[in-house]
Amino acid sequence: MGDILGLVVKRLGLGLIILLVISVIIFFMVELLPGDIAQAVLGQGATPENLAALRKEMGLDQPALVRYLHWLAGAVTLDFGNSIVTGASVAETIGERFANTLFLAAYAAAIAVPISIVLGVLVALLRNSIFDRVANVATLTSISSPEFFLGYILILYLAVKTGMFPAIASLSNDMSFGDLLYRTFLPALTLVLVVTAHMMRMTRAAIINLLASPYIEMARLKGAPPWKVIVKHALPNAWAPIINVVALNLAYLITGVVLVEVVFVYPGIGQALVDAVSKRDFPVVQACCLIFAATFILLNLAADVGSILTNPRLRHPK
Amino acid sequence: MSLFVIAYYTLLLGASCLAAYFNKRSAFLLLFSLTLVSFVLGIIGGVSALRIVAILAGLLALSAMVSYAFREFLIAIASKNLAKELRTAPLTAAFGMFVIFTVAVAGIFAPLIAPHGEAEVITSAFAPADANMLLGADQLGRDIFSRLVYGARNTVALALAGTVMAFLLGALAGLMAATSGGWFDQFLARTSDVIMSIPSLIFALLMLSIFGGDLANDTTSFWLLSAFTGITGLLLVSAIAERSVIAWVIGLAVLAGVAALFGGLMLTIFNPSEIILILVVAVIYSPRVFRLTRAVAGNVVVMDYIEAAKLRGERKWYLIRREILPNSTAPLIAEFGLEFCFVFLLIAGLSFLGLGIQPPTADWGSMVRENATLISFGDITPLIPAAAIALLTVAVNFVVDWMLYRSSGLKV
Amino acid sequence: MIKSKDVLLKIRDLKIQGYSDETWVDIIKGVDLTLHRGEVMGLIGESGAGKSTIGAACMGYARDGTRISNGSIEFDGMELTTASESERRMLRGSRIAYVAQSAAASFNPAHKIIDQHTEAPLQYRLKKRLEAQEDAMDLYERLRLPNPKEIGFRYPHQVSGGQLQRAMTAMAMSCRPDLIIFDEPTTALDVTTQIEVLAAIRDIVDQFNTAAIYITHDLAVVAQMADTIKVLLKGREVEEAPTKQMLDNPQEEYTKSLWAVRSFQSPQRHRPKDGVPLISVRNVDASYTGGAKVLDDVSFDIYEGMTVAVVGESGSGKSTTARVITGLLPPSKGEVLFKGKPFPPSYKDRTKDQLRQCQMIYQMADTALNPKVRISEIIGRPAAFYSGLKGVALKNRVDELLDLIELEPSKYYNRYPPELSGGQKQRIGIARALAAEPTFIVCDEVTSALDQLVAEGILRLLDRLQNELGLAYMFITHDLATVRSIADEVVVMQHGKVVEQGPKDEMFTPPHHPYTDLLLSSVPEMDPNWLTTLLEERGVDNVGDAAAARIDPNDPKLSDANA
Repeated sequence: MGDILGLVVKRLGLGLIILLVISVIIFFMVELLPGDIAQAVLGQGATPENLAALRKEMGLDQPALVRYLHWLAGAVTLDFGNSIVTGASVAETIGERFANTLFLAAYAAAIAVPISIVLGVLVALLRNSIFDRVANVATLTSISSPEFFLGYILILYLAVKTGMFPAIASLSNDMSFGDLLYRTFLPALTLVLVVTAHMMRMTRAAIINLLASPYIEMARLKGAPPWKVIVKHALPNAWAPIINVVALNLAYLITGVVLVEVVFVYPGIGQALVDAVSKRDFPVVQACCLIFAATFILLNLAADVGSILTNPRLRHPK
Repeated sequence: MSLFVIAYYTLLLGASCLAAYFNKRSAFLLLFSLTLVSFVLGIIGGVSALRIVAILAGLLALSAMVSYAFREFLIAIASKNLAKELRTAPLTAAFGMFVIFTVAVAGIFAPLIAPHGEAEVITSAFAPADANMLLGADQLGRDIFSRLVYGARNTVALALAGTVMAFLLGALAGLMAATSGGWFDQFLARTSDVIMSIPSLIFALLMLSIFGGDLANDTTSFWLLSAFTGITGLLLVSAIAERSVIAWVIGLAVLAGVAALFGGLMLTIFNPSEIILILVVAVIYSPRVFRLTRAVAGNVVVMDYIEAAKLRGERKWYLIRREILPNSTAPLIAEFGLEFCFVFLLIAGLSFLGLGIQPPTADWGSMVRENATLISFGDITPLIPAAAIALLTVAVNFVVDWMLYRSSGLKV
Repeated sequence: MIKSKDVLLKIRDLKIQGYSDETWVDIIKGVDLTLHRGEVMGLIGESGAGKSTIGAACMGYARDGTRISNGSIEFDGMELTTASESERRMLRGSRIAYVAQSAAASFNPAHKIIDQHTEAPLQYRLKKRLEAQEDAMDLYERLRLPNPKEIGFRYPHQVSGGQLQRAMTAMAMSCRPDLIIFDEPTTALDVTTQIEVLAAIRDIVDQFNTAAIYITHDLAVVAQMADTIKVLLKGREVEEAPTKQMLDNPQEEYTKSLWAVRSFQSPQRHRPKDGVPLISVRNVDASYTGGAKVLDDVSFDIYEGMTVAVVGESGSGKSTTARVITGLLPPSKGEVLFKGKPFPPSYKDRTKDQLRQCQMIYQMADTALNPKVRISEIIGRPAAFYSGLKGVALKNRVDELLDLIELEPSKYYNRYPPELSGGQKQRIGIARALAAEPTFIVCDEVTSALDQLVAEGILRLLDRLQNELGLAYMFITHDLATVRSIADEVVVMQHGKVVEQGPKDEMFTPPHHPYTDLLLSSVPEMDPNWLTTLLEERGVDNVGDAAAARIDPNDPKLSDANA
């Protein structure tokens, strides 16, 4: 077991280092701006006095490295400073939105993961049949469609024309859970459509890859029925690839959510990021980017750790 | 029961029976399951749902016919070897080629095809379609059809430029890393790991928030572009020159000239904010290309014939050009198609968010955004450019799918 | 030798098709087979003969991409071609079992060995779990696996290859089947390990009087195992006869040629009295980055125009030695001398002329030739690169080289490697080495991937070239028959050390170093009684790993190994 622990710790360490490097990139990229943030905030017509005052207020008179360390220390305690547009605390502004985004992603994942794994295994079993081909075309089409295309089609047919679901996913605090699920159904469905297609294809590929192994043929030649070949012989070895598929797509969900949030005017962190980018509100942009990157890395980490833990060769060392 | 419903089921059941009778197993399965699905759909959605199914089926049949005809056309005009390859193309791939061909024609001959100018205001906002305007007018009274045609040119050209640049840098770096190994390989691999752990859309937004404003001017974009070309060129020069000092000097001189020329050329084609966009996607996607190329080339590098060439004393550039590339072209071309899809979707997404291609340039992503309000009136106009994006991406994916299938051999 | 007149398996006019290039083509073109209860039949043939496909078909199984198109397969009165899939499945594992070539790949890495062993008996409800486990341990004991009570509770990757192969044989026995298909069960193993698996398989088949089909390409192995031998060629039967008769008196030309293969022997050359060796490996240690030592104080000389065979099992360091000589792996200690002068340790630091002197021919011709480059360029490139030949001169040189390797220039000049057969590819590999006009060529297992007849041709060609061009060869091989036919001197390696070296005639006459002895005596011979005799001599428990482990480190022969 020592080996596994070592591997996991090593992987975690690597993830931390990557996150640190990314924080450097995110912070110092903003430093590339000609002049500085104060200049960007106040525009070309600002008086030197105003500029100096703002710089002092934002701590811009200190060297970049000091400011980076300060920013990083803040980020670790979830303090990302204040927005330069509204002046409000960044953490407060995006905190709740991040929770909303996570909810939407979890909602979509809860539907998409089981469906796509079952469908993926099914399609792998029926490979080269007409259903496999239809599924191939359908999933390719779904992957190729931009999220806003799927989103607007759903709005048009399920909201505007039939009125079954609300087109705009507005949230309020006093909604019941069922109501919440109902109101956010369309954005979640959009995400489900895209992610399911991805996951199905990858699950199918992973299973088919596995079915070519000699030990699967051996199982068949031992007279194991088809379901047993899949459940007992293929699946225990497929966990690693499947975990990877799921994690990759969850990571995709978290970021793919940006476009969907804009389409459905959903109060999530993605929309906050897009707003901040167009208003050039750098503290918010930096905070959002760091959060997204951290989530992304975390999920990839989870996948790596998961595949380490399910690998029989590592679990039972010589 | 309307006549339509009766005709609908009669046709489906009749066709299923025929398929069953002639032992066309897969056709029968497909038709009959469609019949069963139709029962459910008919009960839930009524006649209109069935009508949609019928229209979709008709469209599908139509595109199948077009694809078939187009494939036969290509086979007829292609050389013997190519024709043999083309014969193996499934209808989906033929369909893909047809769409790509159409978009290419629309893009190249846009001024000839489009009835109106790109930014020409000809009527009132959201005017409905008439004989003059096939698809009506947009929020400023511009002809949507004309903008769609121009959009084919702008969006695709931009995505293509971004893909080509990402590909050149990524593929060169990947080939170099695979042949050199050692710290150079490790350094590139770790760098690409870092870039790839930032989600692409987020990274694009971050970069655009910085380079998108005042920095999107001629000088900055020229220098950034030259820097990018320089890095790509540096890899090339180092591969060719290796330890020869003279070759390095000549190579660097040529490189400087080419980079400047390229920068100037790009500036005449694209405006600065578009160049920034191209660079952003190139930076984001080159690590992905790098990783794939390195893996593909890595599989070739372990072959004994590479060892034989190394032991002969061959240079790196010879290894790359004569030994590795001929064995990696198929997966690399497929990868180019895939990357194009990613880049194209990313640019469309950015434009949709209002951060990509800037008005008044016609572009499919921003057209969706500009006309989005129409959706709430049940108008499908904003779906048309979105559908165009989906169609082109699907088309490329179909072709790539076929190529991947070919290059992977006929396994399973 | 037929033990009963009771027919167990009857195959008539079997045709199997494989899918390639968008059409179905026949790979088995009408084969008949009759197997009686308790009979062991050896199926032998070269690659592409369809042995393995027939083996699978005996279970009513067609691999992906193949289909049984015609004929009948009757197992114990049941027609398999018309039976339903579930009926066929009920036979597999219970009445017909299968032993695959690679046990390491054929055991599921996710389950313990014993759980895979008991899967079939539990599924067919033949035994309770505990009974089945007891039985498994009993079988492990009979197959002489170490720690029979405990070994089953390990995972496949925790057990060595030879043991795993025996565990798979035990698994095949778990339901006491009437028939076992052995599909090249020892091909992937070293000779010393092969022997213990062979002995175990033969014992167990005898004990339970199980019928078996033993598929292999190795005549000597099949001679030990089979009662009858059936020879196949390209999906057709050549002939069938009881083992003894087949060995002594083959009828068909093809079979005779197979038997005759091992007859080639090149006359042994001797070192010049006083001369500088062409290549001299001096006290070389080497290891891969971060790994343990792979070579430990390796020294030997190769003289001009002579063949030195380097022999050893997998992991003995023979290929690593070649990498050190060619400069791919710089040694951590010691040096390589070329005509008495030091060779730069890394190929990157060698001059063009030094690189030219030392060429290499690879084991796998498939990976040694770039599939996307024409033959003319593969052979022409070294000539152009080293000698600066161009245009007509280059073309003439390529033609000359193609003539030299007995391929007609006009026919092969513009073709690509995938269009050639294995033997032709290997010839192209030789031509590429010759194109550099070297004095020394490393031949790394050049014949082990080839069928015997083809390998024989390659050996003859190499010998002829050596006489004509005065080449020195370093011949890496694990096959002692090859050593006998082509070597002048032999170097025996084990665990990265040279255990014995000397002229061939001395090496093949006792007394030997104990490891050499073990290696020599483990090579199967055509005599059907070879295995029996050997087991009598050594004792059943003293074969394979056990024997290797028993070599006495204080044996006096060890100290004068390098003398």
